[in-house]
Amino acid sequence: MNPIGDLYTGGSNGLREIWANKVRSFLSMSGIILGVAALVSMVGIVQGMLGNMQASFEQGGGILKLEVHAAEAPEPQQHIAGISPGLTWRDIVAVQRAIPLAVYTTPIVDMNYERFIARGRREGALLYGVTPDFINIGTRELGYGRFVADMDIALKSPVMVIGTHLRDKLFPNLDSAVGQQLRLRGQVYTIVGQLAEIEQTSGSRERGNWQNRLNYIPATTAMSRYKGDDKVNEIHVMADRVEDLPDLVEQISNTLTRTHRGIKDFEVRTQEERMLELKKLEDSFIFSLGGIAGISLLVGGIGIMNVMLASVSERIREIGVRKAIGARSHDIFIQFLAEAVVISVLGGIFGLLASVGVLTLAREVIPAGDMISVVPVSAMFYGFIFSSTIGLISGIYPAMRAARLDPIDALRYE
Amino acid sequence: MIEPNVIFRLSGLCRLYTVGSEEVRALDGVDLAICDREFIAVTGTSGSGKSTLMHILGFMDSPTAGRMEFEGKDVTGISGAGRADLRASRIGFVFQSFNLLPRLSVLDNVLLPLTYSRTRVANQRELGMAVLDRVGMGHRASHTPNQLSGGERQRVAIARALINKPRLILADEPTGNLDTKNRSRIMELFSSLLEEGITLALVTHDNEVASYAGRRIRMEDGKVLEDIQL
Repeated sequence: MNPIGDLYTGGSNGLREIWANKVRSFLSMSGIILGVAALVSMVGIVQGMLGNMQASFEQGGGILKLEVHAAEAPEPQQHIAGISPGLTWRDIVAVQRAIPLAVYTTPIVDMNYERFIARGRREGALLYGVTPDFINIGTRELGYGRFVADMDIALKSPVMVIGTHLRDKLFPNLDSAVGQQLRLRGQVYTIVGQLAEIEQTSGSRERGNWQNRLNYIPATTAMSRYKGDDKVNEIHVMADRVEDLPDLVEQISNTLTRTHRGIKDFEVRTQEERMLELKKLEDSFIFSLGGIAGISLLVGGIGIMNVMLASVSERIREIGVRKAIGARSHDIFIQFLAEAVVISVLGGIFGLLASVGVLTLAREVIPAGDMISVVPVSAMFYGFIFSSTIGLISGIYPAMRAARLDPIDALRYE
Repeated sequence: MIEPNVIFRLSGLCRLYTVGSEEVRALDGVDLAICDREFIAVTGTSGSGKSTLMHILGFMDSPTAGRMEFEGKDVTGISGAGRADLRASRIGFVFQSFNLLPRLSVLDNVLLPLTYSRTRVANQRELGMAVLDRVGMGHRASHTPNQLSGGERQRVAIARALINKPRLILADEPTGNLDTKNRSRIMELFSSLLEEGITLALVTHDNEVASYAGRRIRMEDGKVLEDIQL
């Protein structure tokens, strides 16, 4: 007995049978092709989308980041909510002074959409007032120059750190716009830094990441020149270790309650909730898509079984002849099983090829589809293994029927 | 003591079938010794048990009672796989309706038994061609069975039976589907195999075919009625 030889003979016989019945074999393969193509492309697309969310989550500071947002004061405090100053610069100072666990702290002073002018060119983009710590929260990096510095905060300097979008629109001939000047609401700013471009992870097309449209000035400049008060929109805080997060949340809460004169008109948000949501989303996608793909592969398997049963009844006499000239039941079993496996393996390969096509199309058609990988290796691996297993399982019963045939009866069969 | 030239020895061999609630004795106490290089014609009416005898001699079926020796060994209760191995190595079959596989070429049909022989055979194609030349079909090796006449198909079937160098070739009405001219050609081919040390047993209704044989066994109701050396 030589199992490898058996499989080789079985496989080559299987291929010959498939070739001899091309149309029938292709039809029986189609279920597997569709199933594998659906499974791999759906998983590929979902992975791409979740990858997008994950990437923006990481870029925004990941799990170690806390955000303080303004919130409505609780019911019993509402009538005295007016005594709280809200989120202000004083909160920043208080957090920085009182909470060592807050490694980095920055306010976000939201200037929204502003119009920038330089060299006769105009372009709109988003602008925020921040402190030097901002660059240490999240994964943004400087391409040229420097970020907002402590000195800028102290002096309320008219300096700006821009993203590559503004450079492209206002200084199209320059790699670095550092040292250039631009005007914002009639006031002149010097560009002291330019953030590194965030590239599309694997994009063929020029789409530009929205993060390249963000620009920053010192928070104190924003407050004094445009807001006229010391209010901030959000406070972002970065911890050093995940274990510190519960303490940090509590300490920030206590400190701000004091600076807000006892009014709890803020909330401290952790990224844990966002991550859990992301995970939940992933799970629900995997279950629903896995279910659909599993059912279509099951249908494909039933198709193969059907065709194999037809093939067995069509070739009863052949089975009789093979047995008469010395084939054991085991040989016949392997022959038909190999045929089913060859059908499903070929179907799986065609399905994988089809999924590459679907994913290539999806990258073009789906917005923000650039994260979609055309060759999602693990999905392809599992899809292929799953489809081959389905073929193997669906071939067992027909192969058993073929193997059990009595040679005398089989030879008499008309 | 076993005579050295006896290849098959059947004693008190029975084969019972149950059809519905009825028992059919297809073989009913057959005693028979088949010697090396014998050419045996088995005749009898249909239902006489001749086909069952051939199936048992060809290890396609097992007796329900009695004893059966092949090449000096007791093979009465041999397993299905053991019988398949004996079919693959010691027995060649020739059928009335040829039973070539239509999708395979003539040469591949002839080589098919080698797929199931447990011993590795080198130079399979050369061997196949040699056997096809032996039956005068070498020039048709790449054709498919559908392109051949009945007589040619039966020659290919005989080549297939010869490829494993069997001890015994069993033929079931091998000329039943052939015209007179082809019938005598095939029978001459069979006769010539004896010189190569092969033992032949064929089932036939045709007295002319039976006349080629050196021994004639007539069966009736599962019993050997007549066993004549000619």
